[in-house]
Order: sequence, then C-alpha cells, then structure tokens
Amino acid sequence: MINAKNFDIVTPGELLSDEKNGGNGTYEEENKVYSKFLGMAQVSEKRIDVTPLTGNYYPSEGDDIIGEVTEIASKYWVVDINAPFYTRLDVRDVNFRAELGELDRYIEIGDLIYARVFRIYPNNAADISMRGTRYGKLEPKLTMKIDPVKLPRLIGKEGSMINMIKDQTKCDILVGQNGIIWIDGDEAGRLAAATAIKFIDENYVETDLTEKVGRLLENVRGKV
Amino acid sequence: MYEERFDKRAFNELRPMEAETGVVPNAKGSARFRIGNTEAIAAVYGPEEVKPRHIEKVDRGVIVCKYDMLPFSVPDRAKPGMDRRDIEISQVITNALNRAIILEDMPRAMINVRVYITQADAGTRCASLTAASMACADAGLPMRDLVAAVAAGKIGDHVCLDLSKEEEDFHEGEGATDVPIAFLPSKNEILLLQLDGRVSRDELKKVIEVGKEGAMKIYELEKEALKRRFSNESKS
Repeated sequence: MINAKNFDIVTPGELLSDEKNGGNGTYEEENKVYSKFLGMAQVSEKRIDVTPLTGNYYPSEGDDIIGEVTEIASKYWVVDINAPFYTRLDVRDVNFRAELGELDRYIEIGDLIYARVFRIYPNNAADISMRGTRYGKLEPKLTMKIDPVKLPRLIGKEGSMINMIKDQTKCDILVGQNGIIWIDGDEAGRLAAATAIKFIDENYVETDLTEKVGRLLENVRGKV
Repeated sequence: MYEERFDKRAFNELRPMEAETGVVPNAKGSARFRIGNTEAIAAVYGPEEVKPRHIEKVDRGVIVCKYDMLPFSVPDRAKPGMDRRDIEISQVITNALNRAIILEDMPRAMINVRVYITQADAGTRCASLTAASMACADAGLPMRDLVAAVAAGKIGDHVCLDLSKEEEDFHEGEGATDVPIAFLPSKNEILLLQLDGRVSRDELKKVIEVGKEGAMKIYELEKEALKRRFSNESKS
C-alpha cells in the first residue's frame, strides 16, 4: 500500500508506504517507509523519494563550488564552502606554482575561488581542488546565496532558466553547487539578475517558473 | 472541590493553539508555538562545526539546546540567564530531540537549538519541545518524526489535559499533579515523562492516555503549520 501521492508535501515521520520501496530522503522501520524530511514526495512505480524543501549543502564528489578563503596555513588554504565544515585547498591542488609559506601572495583571505570537490572522507570532511582550466580565483563581484535544494529550479531543464537570465541581463553568472552565485555585469544587469534569483528563491515551488521569471525580467529592464 | 475548570474547558480539552514556522529569518529554521497564554519561539542553527571541540562525535552529530525564559514572561520579572530550572529543561529537550533527529546522518556536526519563552502560563517545557521539533523540521534536518508534547495531570479526582498555571497551583484536596509527556506520534514512543505531585498507578495510565489524545491534536497542527508555508507560496 502506498500512502503518498506524487508532489505531496510530507513532514518528517509521515508514513509513505508499507512496502520496501523507500528511496532518497526516506527511512525504514519495521518494514514501513517513512519520510525523513519536510519535503516533496516523488512516487514512481519502483520507489518513493522525498526531496527536501529546505536544507543544507553536503558536499559530494565532483561538485563545482564557490568558496571563500578564511584562513591561510603554510601548505593549504582553509575555505568556507557553505557546508557544515571548512575544507582544505592543498597547495598541490592549484593550477599554478605556489611558493610554500607565501600562499597569501596568490590567494588572500576573503578571496572567492571556484573549485571542485574531489575527495570526501567518511566523516563528511571534504578536500577541494583547483586543477583544471575552468577553476581559479574569482574577482570580487556581486555574490548571492540560496538554499542548495532550490538550485535545480534556478538552473532549470538543461540550463534553460539560468541561460535565459544570462541572455536577458547580459550578465556572466556562475552557479556553485553549494548555493553560492557569482554575478558579473553592468549595474542594471546585475540588479535584474539579482531580482530574478531572489524571485526564484522565494517562489521555487511554483509551476511555470521560467515564464514568470521571463516576465519579471522584462518588467525590471523596462524600469531601468 | 474541583468540579469545573477555571476557564470552563472540558477536562480533556486543550487550550487554543497557534503554530507557525519561519519566524526568525536569520536562523536556518524557526517556529512559534502558542498554547493558551504560553508561547515559545524556537530557532535552529546548523549543522556547523562543533564547539567546544571535546563534545564532537566522530560517527554522529551532537545537539545543543538552550531553554530560556525572557524577563517579561512571568508576572514577577524572571532573572535573565540560565538558572537551575532552565538547565534541567534544556537537558530534557536535548534528550527528546536526540531521539527524534537522525543524528547518524550528520557526523561531526553540531546543531544549536535556542528556545525562548515569551509568555509563561504552565506547560512551557512541552510548548518548547513542540516548537523546537517544528523548527528542526523547518531547518531541513533528517528526523524520525515530529515531537508532540503536552502536559496532562490530575486536579482533585479529575484527570485533566493541558493544565494552566492557575490549575497547577490548586491546593485543595489532593492538590494538582502535573505530568509533562512528549510523544513521537507515528511511532507511539514516549520521549519525555516527568511527574510532579501524587498519582496512583492506574491514574497515571489514564493520564498518559489523555495526554496522547491531546498530543495527536498538536501533531496535526504541527504538520499543518509546516505544510502551510509551502502551499501559501504556490497560491500567491
């Protein structure tokens, strides 16, 4: 028996089914499947998943993230990536030659970096790497933070939403999978992009979000 | 003799309740719960790095609760800061939440729960626990279930639900007995059971039964309050 319907909003502890078909965001007890989160149920023939509606960023391998350097040691930088724990960027994992003991010559405290999570330890600690030409230090521009659970809506199907925002505002937007967004462009464009992202942040459970954001962007640009 | 309740409620009736989430924008999750004249505001911060370091667990998260009564919450001014009673209640809330939250999912992390009582009229530890569990769910923490807590008890010969301060201070006859109970409603588990007063074994069973009925009503309200925030957003 499956109790939940597709797109139902469920609370923690809600009984989802009494078959063994729990997926992500669920747990089993006495052969019954319960929800773990305040989230949205996704029921398919094989299993039930619960996508949390609010939540935190837990790093996983291969994530492209934006982080802020908070501390410099002799062989590594300590980076805040919006996760429960700080991570390390080792001097061997950067895409330039760094002189040991003088790391602040390259990346200083407060600098933003774009990097990749390349190793996760069993206790949830993560190591990040800047190897590869896509990664590096970011110039200080406008940054925003949204809940990582809302990122799928911000990016849209195959990037439809984020590409539309980029086109309409003529901004360069970089979205870290940890929920930090970096926006570069002229002032009106930045303002429009920030308005759109804020709108998604507040209305991410709505349907037809891409159309609504499109209309919003036209309005905002009309005023400026 | 105590034949009718001071506020004319039925003996197994709760005081009017109100619940909402998202009341503290700076916190990861927050909730407000009011029952009668008792009101609690809970805010959850984290998961974050454990401080102080020595309470860190390698295989599971830790949860730290703080319960505090605001100075204006009672008729006589409450001294700010934690007193003995606040420390005890902080501890019982921590113990109950330890069971409700799946801490194995967040090793090395700490969750901070702050509960403040803005108005006190008996049953504050139950209101705090209810608010705290809603705030945890609002923060997106993995949980086994929400916690629904209510004070049941006995006044004279009557088994009562949700005692007010006036009733707690009833001294005629056998006086009043106060039994705060917390449930995991869908699991039928008891997370908190304290007793202040005198009660026989059979009466205690009745008290718990009445408490459970009340807790189920609170549970429904909690679920409704958590869901409301998201269904409202989809309407606007």
